[in-house]
Amino acid sequence: MKRLNYRTKAVILAAALIVILVFLYALGSLIPESAVAGSFLEAGQPPSRKHLFGTDSLGRDLFLRTLKGMSLSLTVGFSASMISAVIAVVVGVIAATGSKRADAVINWVIDLVMSVPHTILVILISFAMGRGLKGLLIGIAATHWCSLARLIRGEVLQLRSQQYAAVSRKLGKSSGWILIHHLLPHLLPQFLIGLILMLLHAILHEAAISFLGFGLPPEQSAIGIILSESMRYLSAGMWWSAMLPGLSLVLIVLLVDRLGERLRTVLDPYSAQE
Amino acid sequence: MKKRMRKALACLLMMTLLLGTAACQSGQSNTSSEKEEQPSSGAVSSASVESIESTAAAKDSVVIAIGSEPETLDPTKGWGHGNSPIVQSTLVRYTADLSFENDLATSYELSEDGLTWTFTIRDDAYFTNGDKLTAQDVAFTLETAKAAQGSVDLTYMESAVAQDDATVVITLSRPTSIFLNTLASVGIVPKDAYGEDYGVDPVGSGPFKFVEWKPQEQIIFTANEDYYGGAPKIKQVTVVFMSEDAALAAVQAGQVDVAYSSAALGKTEVEGYHVEAITSADNRGFTLPVLPDEGKTTESGAPIGNNVTCNLEIRKAIAYGIDRQQVADAVLNGFGRPAYSENDGMPWNNPETVIETDVEYAKKLLSDAGWKDTDGDSIVEKDGLKAEFTCIYPAGDSVRQAVAMAAAQQVKGLGIGIQVEGVSWDEITQRMFSEAVMMGWGSAIPNETYYLYRSEGALLDDFYNPEGYQSELTDSYLDAAMKSLTAEEANENWKKVQWDGTDGTAMKGECPWVWIVNLSHVTYVRDGLSIGSQPIHGHGHGLPLIQNLQEWAWTE
Repeated sequence: MKRLNYRTKAVILAAALIVILVFLYALGSLIPESAVAGSFLEAGQPPSRKHLFGTDSLGRDLFLRTLKGMSLSLTVGFSASMISAVIAVVVGVIAATGSKRADAVINWVIDLVMSVPHTILVILISFAMGRGLKGLLIGIAATHWCSLARLIRGEVLQLRSQQYAAVSRKLGKSSGWILIHHLLPHLLPQFLIGLILMLLHAILHEAAISFLGFGLPPEQSAIGIILSESMRYLSAGMWWSAMLPGLSLVLIVLLVDRLGERLRTVLDPYSAQE
Repeated sequence: MKKRMRKALACLLMMTLLLGTAACQSGQSNTSSEKEEQPSSGAVSSASVESIESTAAAKDSVVIAIGSEPETLDPTKGWGHGNSPIVQSTLVRYTADLSFENDLATSYELSEDGLTWTFTIRDDAYFTNGDKLTAQDVAFTLETAKAAQGSVDLTYMESAVAQDDATVVITLSRPTSIFLNTLASVGIVPKDAYGEDYGVDPVGSGPFKFVEWKPQEQIIFTANEDYYGGAPKIKQVTVVFMSEDAALAAVQAGQVDVAYSSAALGKTEVEGYHVEAITSADNRGFTLPVLPDEGKTTESGAPIGNNVTCNLEIRKAIAYGIDRQQVADAVLNGFGRPAYSENDGMPWNNPETVIETDVEYAKKLLSDAGWKDTDGDSIVEKDGLKAEFTCIYPAGDSVRQAVAMAAAQQVKGLGIGIQVEGVSWDEITQRMFSEAVMMGWGSAIPNETYYLYRSEGALLDDFYNPEGYQSELTDSYLDAAMKSLTAEEANENWKKVQWDGTDGTAMKGECPWVWIVNLSHVTYVRDGLSIGSQPIHGHGHGLPLIQNLQEWAWTE
């Protein structure tokens, strides 16, 4: 068997990770709400073959709830970081190509947003937007674009001073043409990796905000909700209700992190020779 | 090789970061969801160290963990409402079986028209500041409570006048049978030492003396050695405020002597402690809107009415379809009993309110009224209307959530779909007139029945009658009960409100409420401590527990 080189391996691994994530997402969304309802007669059972993660204080199967929660985390995380990444590109490009004043204003706004701790800002925005899925999405999307925007601004500034950009300009190409044909393709790796790294943050924030009670409603099967409910019963010895869903959250975050790492290997020109 | 090392390192770093975030999150949770608990844990440990030391020596102090902090210690503003105020003393007080005995009063009489009460007051009662307690203080207290218009309802009191130091004459505008009940919870405040900050620094003539109140942490009382009823055996009482699970953790750590816990946690055995399940009329049940949705709204714009629950057969089917014992056993771990009315077990409860679970009868009620499942989704419908509605409860209240979800699962078998949803109290005030709410009531005063069912109180913001129940028959019994001159006569009428033989507010009558369970108040008590004979508790997160503090004692 031929030894695979580092980059090919990375591609395969990244693809595998994507498949796993998509699989988890699909599994979670295919479980109907009624299957999660459970029966109050089976409340508080430790893990068994029938209930892999045990049941919570209301008799709901924690394995099914966790799966649904992971799928929800991915949905929220992906949508929020997608919006955030698009904002970052738009803002970054404007800052780099627009007037000096626009650049100053944007940098000032970025400094402002970054100076407030994320969690607090997400709580405030989510609360003001009426909590729930909508509030959480807006909250996360509105707070995570800053560092990526800054990165993209720098990247664009650098690209614009490249010779091929200068040549294009001398040849009479419009700024729009240069943006679409020269700048954006070069920004794609930054965008993708930024997106994945943001996804990780978004998932953790979604869980944290729901855990604190400012996010999703308590009936929703979300990992943050499961964890905050489990806190009440820890002193009664229901360790499984916190530990297994918590580990699942760690697992999914690790998966996403690995995916980001592989993608970086594939896309980053500096690792092209490895 | 180097590469792999770096990878491993990166992995490790990631894990630490993650763990760091997780730890950081749980740290945040402590401060936000258990605000009271964080600062108090320090206080508890110091207080409990004291208590452990002193219990080893003399055993005359207790540390009590309860769930909620009182808003004030001023009886005219609601402190002691439904319980004994312990810092102050009252004219009359409840016995364990909820009849009355004299406390400050040595005797009292009621004029024949039921309007004038004359109380004679004992002359050996002193406030802890040294002042003698006189009839002037009694009159002042009642007038102040009336003017405060708080949770002490004295609107029916015309005047309270001190004739001399030992006699006070109270004139009512109409005969009121619950007047003694009200007096039993209004502690007498000193006229000369009453001011703006009385609620946080009270002086009274009760068995305990107020020492210190650290908001969101603790209140400390000491025994009033000069108490006319004899000095209590417990000399120092520290009441700390903790959430139910934090209280259990404190019990497990041996930091508190008594802790108010919850049914879900009460199964945990802790060495050196026993669990006392105190009977209560602290009930949980659905309020079901009895009015149809005709597009009307309340003054604040909240929609009124629900087209499903306005049908009597739906409400009754739910009432008969719920297996209350099963809910009490499974959801409350046996720390509860079925509830059939707002005041089970009280002297003014009508035993006729009890119904047997009868799923077949419930199904028959529905099919007789034309509710059938025609589209095979296991939910019945009638004229295109599905028998589905939402039941809301205050998010974060795990007992209400569990009771509501269990009941919803049970009535699903009848073909009635109840969607359970946790929302904030603000949202409940907006939605309670048009949706079912999982509520909790239960009081040691019968006037709760009056507030729950009077027509005048329908659709007010006070949570008593959001379903919009109005009935002339009920009103007539309520008025008769309020106007009765003796407790016996009043109780007869209170019972008729619930069921007079043909109709009433009971579940087999008009059924505006579907009562489900009465919670037992699960209390961890350190072995060797006697907490006296606790009267039936009303609604309240632990405060009813301390009403008989002067009966507590260490027995070993």
